[in-house]
Amino acid sequence: MPDGSGPHPEALEGLVRRITAQVRWRRAEHYALRGAFYGAVAGVVALVLKVAFGAWALVAAGALVPLGLAAGAVWGLAKRVSPTEAARLADRAFGLQDRVATALEWSNRPDRTPLVAALVADATARVGAVEPRQIVPRVLPREVWWLPVPALAALVLALGPPVPLLTGRFPDLSPLSESEEPTDRSGGELVQQDRRSLPKDALRKPAFDERDFVQRAGTGGAATAGDLSAIFKDTSLATQRPDFNSFLKKGDERLRLLEQVDRLPDLQSDFTASQYKMVFRKSKALTGGLRPDQISPKKLRELLEEMERLGRKGGGSWGSDVAEGMEALEYGQQDRALEAMEKALNKLRAMEEAQRSGKGLRGGRESERGARGERNRGRGASGADEQDFGEGEGLLPGKGKSPSAKGDASQRLRANAYDVGVEGEARRGRKEGYDTNMTGQGGKMPSRLLYMGVIGQYRKAMEDALAREQVPRDYHEQIKDYFQALDER
Amino acid sequence: MTQEARVQEFVSAFNALRAEVEKVIVGQREIVTHVLIGMFAGGHVLLEGVPGLGKTLLIKTLAEGLEFSFSRIQFTPDLMPADIIGTNIIVEDAAGRKHFQFQQGPIFAHILLADEINRATPKTQSALLEGMQEGCVTVGGASRPLPSPFFVLATQNPIEMEGTYPLPEAQLDRFIFKLRVRYPALEELNAIIDRTTHARPVSVNRVMTGPTVLAHRELVREVPIASHVRDLASAVVMATHPEWEHAPDATRRFVRYGASPRGAQALVLGAKVRALADGRYNVSVEDLKALAAPALRHRIILNFEGEAEAVDVDALVGDIVEGVERQIAQDKEPFLR
Repeated sequence: MPDGSGPHPEALEGLVRRITAQVRWRRAEHYALRGAFYGAVAGVVALVLKVAFGAWALVAAGALVPLGLAAGAVWGLAKRVSPTEAARLADRAFGLQDRVATALEWSNRPDRTPLVAALVADATARVGAVEPRQIVPRVLPREVWWLPVPALAALVLALGPPVPLLTGRFPDLSPLSESEEPTDRSGGELVQQDRRSLPKDALRKPAFDERDFVQRAGTGGAATAGDLSAIFKDTSLATQRPDFNSFLKKGDERLRLLEQVDRLPDLQSDFTASQYKMVFRKSKALTGGLRPDQISPKKLRELLEEMERLGRKGGGSWGSDVAEGMEALEYGQQDRALEAMEKALNKLRAMEEAQRSGKGLRGGRESERGARGERNRGRGASGADEQDFGEGEGLLPGKGKSPSAKGDASQRLRANAYDVGVEGEARRGRKEGYDTNMTGQGGKMPSRLLYMGVIGQYRKAMEDALAREQVPRDYHEQIKDYFQALDER
Repeated sequence: MTQEARVQEFVSAFNALRAEVEKVIVGQREIVTHVLIGMFAGGHVLLEGVPGLGKTLLIKTLAEGLEFSFSRIQFTPDLMPADIIGTNIIVEDAAGRKHFQFQQGPIFAHILLADEINRATPKTQSALLEGMQEGCVTVGGASRPLPSPFFVLATQNPIEMEGTYPLPEAQLDRFIFKLRVRYPALEELNAIIDRTTHARPVSVNRVMTGPTVLAHRELVREVPIASHVRDLASAVVMATHPEWEHAPDATRRFVRYGASPRGAQALVLGAKVRALADGRYNVSVEDLKALAAPALRHRIILNFEGEAEAVDVDALVGDIVEGVERQIAQDKEPFLR
């Protein structure tokens, strides 16, 4: 109760009392039904023992049901209801925005602020305007759905003859008699088949074995080679029914899944993320929901090559894993290649995590710069500017963690004629051309994007552009020739 | 003055200031409201949005509506800490004697607009740290108090990241809210065109003074909050931490660091202002839910997987709040849900 100097939320307490009573009655209903069920079950037991109890069994069965009902109701009424919970319930039910619970809680606190009196007055006024109604939901126990079962059983047992009780004889465990000779069942064809051991593929991992044998629900039959639908068989999409209307209107998820593998680079997101993240994302897109035998070896190889390039450029330690993956691909062991790629991805991810800044730790730029400086020192780089700044830093304002759309800045070359040069030789073939190489310092610099990693995407973009008539018709042949010449290299 | 009158005065002042800002700013009502909530909660606000959405104009208009001194700093890569805080310069008095005199920087104002804050170097950004948290700056070993109320409104551009320095987490944490300014709807765009191409410019009236704002801030702290509402705020903040035992799956999967205790303070203080602005004397669960994203989105740091999968922090905060509420409801018996 509030003390003498505090506000007096009698109306609020009255509301809480009403809600508490509602909760108690609902509880009483709930537990009474449960009690009736268990009383009926006990009654059935009594009727089963009718042979032993005689007419008392009927009396007991008849009494147990109301007894259970009454016991449940009493239990429900007696259980305590927290006034705070009742107040919150009232707040939610009447849309009082926690006024009642807050007012009741704060009116008793010694550290209440002057606003509490206004809050109590406001809550009291709103509670007065509230239309009283039942706000506690009726919750039927699960047992209520099974109540007819013991009731019917009791009826049958009450009307039917008494059930004979067990005699208590132990089962006969003596040895088999001469006439019951055990038959030899080992010669059966089915058992012989079971005994035959299954051939094991030594290179297959247990996890993949399991995935091969255990088909998910709704997947249908086994996938055949070249069956495009096979890629959906092991995904969550497999259980979805096709909706051709939505498929045509806005594109089904399956279309998106197909597009993910060799989609065009999203300039907005891909280039603002780091290359590590791009590789991570590509690997997810490549392997998402597919079995090893469903993944394109070509795409896997491209990804591994890209990871190898990143390892060379960033000094990563996943080179051996990538090499193992490439070797596995050479021998057609895709599951082993995937495993190696997973290992490499974990290392790549660990390195990226380590380079990122954390709360209270050294900043991202600082750590990045430090790491780069160490690498430069390791390579024997000299010169004051190279010690102070990392690759491209100091020349571009704001270079650092900036996820530039252009990627990391290239190393700046000095105005020296020997820094960079181009050598080339004529190439013979169906299409004549030149193969060129950069020489000097420029030749040692790594490419920003792996050529073979993007050429497929650009070829697809070219085909799309030609198909959509985005390119003047006169140039079509020329463009196709260009890409064909690239293929011949 | 009765408590009801104090609250009514707050509501009137809040609405009047918002109306003055809305004379100039079309739409963006939620952003304007949240900026005002941040100001009355005694925090600083970071506005993020693409160029041309009226972030700077909003802040300038707000400053015009208040009888406050106002400074604007355009952050650039070559801006130095002394350009913000001020420096000691040599001056000559009437007797010809030379001595050092402190020349105040633009930080000595009630409202500081830090425009494109992510274009300055971290060193310069950090010059704001002490002022934002302590309300004073230290120059040459002497601590100098900033005018009160001191309110930093910073803007940053989420695109054109070339040549920018993302704000350090320590500084982000000092902003009570990070607001994302959205692009206006078609009707709003029409209204912007009509309003800004008109011959007569709109004049903004001054509706509030510094002492009034300080009095309102005191009132905000008197607003009571029920223990279950406070518990929800704490649970939401704790649920942003992946190592918390009851953290939802999304947090464990995508979050590297969760919100600091300042996040919980921001959530509750903001909810108190929102309740008062609504004419209520207590904080409700709805207040917390409405302010969860602005108060927590910049305090949650995604992990590698979260960034690689481009997880939306706002959606993540929504999931966390929903998950915590669901968990609380599940722990109750069905009659009390």
